Amino acid sequence: MANARPQGFFAETWQLALAVIRAMRITFITFFRKPVTVHYPDRPRAYPDRYRGLLALVYESDTGEEACIGCRLCEFVCPPAVIKVEMVKGEKRNYAKTFTLELYACEFCELCVQVCPTDAIVMMKSFDMATADRRDMLLDKDRLHAIGEQFPRSWATGNLLRDMQAPPKKAPGEKPAHAAPDAAAEKPAGGAA
Amino acid sequence: MSNLHPALIGLISGGVLLGALAGLVAYVTLLERKFAARLQSRVGPYRVGPHGLLQPIADAVKLLLKEDLVPAEADRRIFNLAPVVFLVPCLLIFATIPFAPGLGVADLNIGILFFMAVSSMEIVGLFMAGWSSNNKYALLSAMRAVNQIISYDLPFIMAALVPVLLAGSLRLSDIAAAQEGLWFVFYPVIGQLGFLAFVIASVAAENRVPFDILEAESELVAGFRVEYSGMKFALIQLGEYAHVLGTSFLGALLFLGAWSGPGPAWLGPGWFLLKALGIFLLITWVRWSFIRIRVDQILQISWKVLLPLTVLLVAATAITIVLRGASGG
Amino acid sequence: MSAPSPMPADLNPRLVKTLDYTGSERLTMNMGPQHPSAHGVFRAILTLEGEQVVAVDAVIGYLHRCHEKLAETLTYAQYPSIASKTDYVAAMTSELAYVMAAERLAKIEVPKRAEYLRVAVAELQRVASHCLWLGTWCMDMGGALGGGATVFLYCIRERELVLDLFESLTGARLLYGFHQVGGVRYDVPEGWAAECRKTIDLIESRILEYEAMLEDNTFFRMRTEGVGVISRELALDVGIGGPLLRASGVAFDLRRAQPYSSYQDFDFNVPVETAGDCFARYQVRMVEFRESIKIVRQILDGLPEGPISSRPGLKSVAQVRVPKGEMYARVEGPRGEVGCYLIGDGGAKPYRMKWRGASFSNLAVLPHIIPGHSVADVVAIMGSVDPVFGEVDR
Repeated sequence: MANARPQGFFAETWQLALAVIRAMRITFITFFRKPVTVHYPDRPRAYPDRYRGLLALVYESDTGEEACIGCRLCEFVCPPAVIKVEMVKGEKRNYAKTFTLELYACEFCELCVQVCPTDAIVMMKSFDMATADRRDMLLDKDRLHAIGEQFPRSWATGNLLRDMQAPPKKAPGEKPAHAAPDAAAEKPAGGAA
Repeated sequence: MSNLHPALIGLISGGVLLGALAGLVAYVTLLERKFAARLQSRVGPYRVGPHGLLQPIADAVKLLLKEDLVPAEADRRIFNLAPVVFLVPCLLIFATIPFAPGLGVADLNIGILFFMAVSSMEIVGLFMAGWSSNNKYALLSAMRAVNQIISYDLPFIMAALVPVLLAGSLRLSDIAAAQEGLWFVFYPVIGQLGFLAFVIASVAAENRVPFDILEAESELVAGFRVEYSGMKFALIQLGEYAHVLGTSFLGALLFLGAWSGPGPAWLGPGWFLLKALGIFLLITWVRWSFIRIRVDQILQISWKVLLPLTVLLVAATAITIVLRGASGG
Repeated sequence: MSAPSPMPADLNPRLVKTLDYTGSERLTMNMGPQHPSAHGVFRAILTLEGEQVVAVDAVIGYLHRCHEKLAETLTYAQYPSIASKTDYVAAMTSELAYVMAAERLAKIEVPKRAEYLRVAVAELQRVASHCLWLGTWCMDMGGALGGGATVFLYCIRERELVLDLFESLTGARLLYGFHQVGGVRYDVPEGWAAECRKTIDLIESRILEYEAMLEDNTFFRMRTEGVGVISRELALDVGIGGPLLRASGVAFDLRRAQPYSSYQDFDFNVPVETAGDCFARYQVRMVEFRESIKIVRQILDGLPEGPISSRPGLKSVAQVRVPKGEMYARVEGPRGEVGCYLIGDGGAKPYRMKWRGASFSNLAVLPHIIPGHSVADVVAIMGSVDPVFGEVDR
């Protein structure tokens, strides 16, 4: 695709002049394009549906009780081992007595969300938790529940993810359960020329 | 005003010029940053003040507050003196530039010669900075600098000689006045080639990309300036931008007709400023479009291409003038 | 920068070029590990005579994070998201190598849709990684305050579009955790295919812009032609891979030579140049841009329906067990061959896992090609070799 270097003084100078004009033309065109900068935090950034943001514990939608049963599956699966759970037995079901998550060491890999049998731990569509003290990022159960109320949730929960990944056993013609909501509507307009 | 002692006039006008220059240079850095940002699909400084207008002031305050480091093994006196020796010639070149007919600090009758001579003096400050830093990167950069600036000052002077010949005088206000009818850049071939050669030589003489091998941030990490911090760094930056601005003003004066433009005569300095900023933006546009070339290639361009071309250009100008004079024009 | 590091006691005489230098002494200059163009944490002790480099002593290990030991303590379910962190610029390829090794050892079939998705993200990742390569290389050559930064910002602008695609697919922008043993973790959401098409069309038009700024540019040609020539014999001797190998005349691409993950279903060219200099490596990568886009278009046109994993979704940490045996899986990453050697012991954790880092082998060529060039060429050469130190040091 490249041309051979032109020989001769005038040919080279002409080539240089053309190259100069070509390069400056590209920067000139870009000058008149809209900048791609998103003026965060004045303008919010549109997060896609599956964004892996802050972690939170949620309540069950029908009973309003804590969804976490303290099974510690998330604690075992976490690669950097940032989750620590203590279980306490109840009459009908178990609970988590304490649930600590060290957010400053979390990888945001979503494996804990993946394994949770009751969809108790989820990720939020935001990461706005900058702080000056690292101890603020050692989240206990109350903080985690508060984060769950504060931010919008991402799409992913344990059961949804496992359904998406399951080998099919459905009858033909049935729509698979793993279709995710439309993410195209939320794309930022950064690619517009 | 004219019955004041001339030394007092000189002092006041010099002070006014320095003050205006400091403000202008600071805001020219902001202009460059916003312009460069737009060339790169982003916005420049935005948050300090409305649309970043207070950014230069924030930078100045920050640099004032920084710790003033002198490396342990550095040559202290030369290290401390180098920014000053670098800055003074860069500011002194403005003394000869007339901003309007009669409005200049010192309109010498060897104006352009003074400009050229003084602007070459910055090399001394540069080398002092590089040598005294006791830093291999700085030393390499300083040696490249001496090489490059000396090589490019010659075509620079030759290109500047074209308007001098066309106007017939070394005095800058005479050159500006001689362009009342037709700006020198519009002269058939000589004007455009002369302007082009002037811009190229000045980009190289000011260490701007694509000829900034002596700074080469990605290799030499700021080159001769690497050990400077705080106000000394600010002085060096001020000197660099003042030099670029000074050559832009000179280019506007030599080729673009200085203060001539439509409208009443008191708009003259405004037009002059606009033309100088236009040349400055042209140099900036070139800077943000090209990668740099190696030092041996830079020197090749200077000695093998630019210098012969500019010498031929001066000769051609001289012949044109003789022919024009002989035909009674 | 005050006291220079001691010169290596025995400079390998084969690697030191003697020049006709009549100056006084040799200068030992340290480049890195903190350096704007060291591409990560890399220390090169250069021995200079005047402006020319005479010998290079490369020191690595500043980013060593014990990946291989870590893999012995994490199960096959946990490690893929950690695997991204070796080559963090092209995370998908590292994950793919690990997961493929485990699947081959355990003889797990991967469904067709998952394989096509793996190829799609691998090729998109190649586009994103080459964007970063071009941007940082031009920034090294052109200055962080200058034309180099302009090309850098253009490339990053396009890379951000690809990362947006990955974000709507997986939820993360840089380190994905997309692969799992048996398939992939995420299926494409609604509207992703249309968005993907729009993005790659835009990137294809922008590549033309980069080339306009660089290809016929005399400055660029001067800096890259004839610089850092790797001869065919040297390339095969030292064992480099990827675009470096193909730019030296060796037509070897793992996607053709040992097709993995359904690469044999796609129609694409493998660019080969013979010059072996920086410009040839640039040309190879620019063609790879376009070929990757071609592959992604083919996938979008014909993505088969079906499951995305042949194993049920992860429910417990020790869900995947791999029998005893050893296996080596190789993928063609943007930098070369990324390989994962796995020794399984029947349990949920590998007995041993070793990474073959592409950049680690590529860096070995530096002491052979840098001597004889000037300091300014060192950055051009290093940029065209495109090392990522996560892969080198692991």
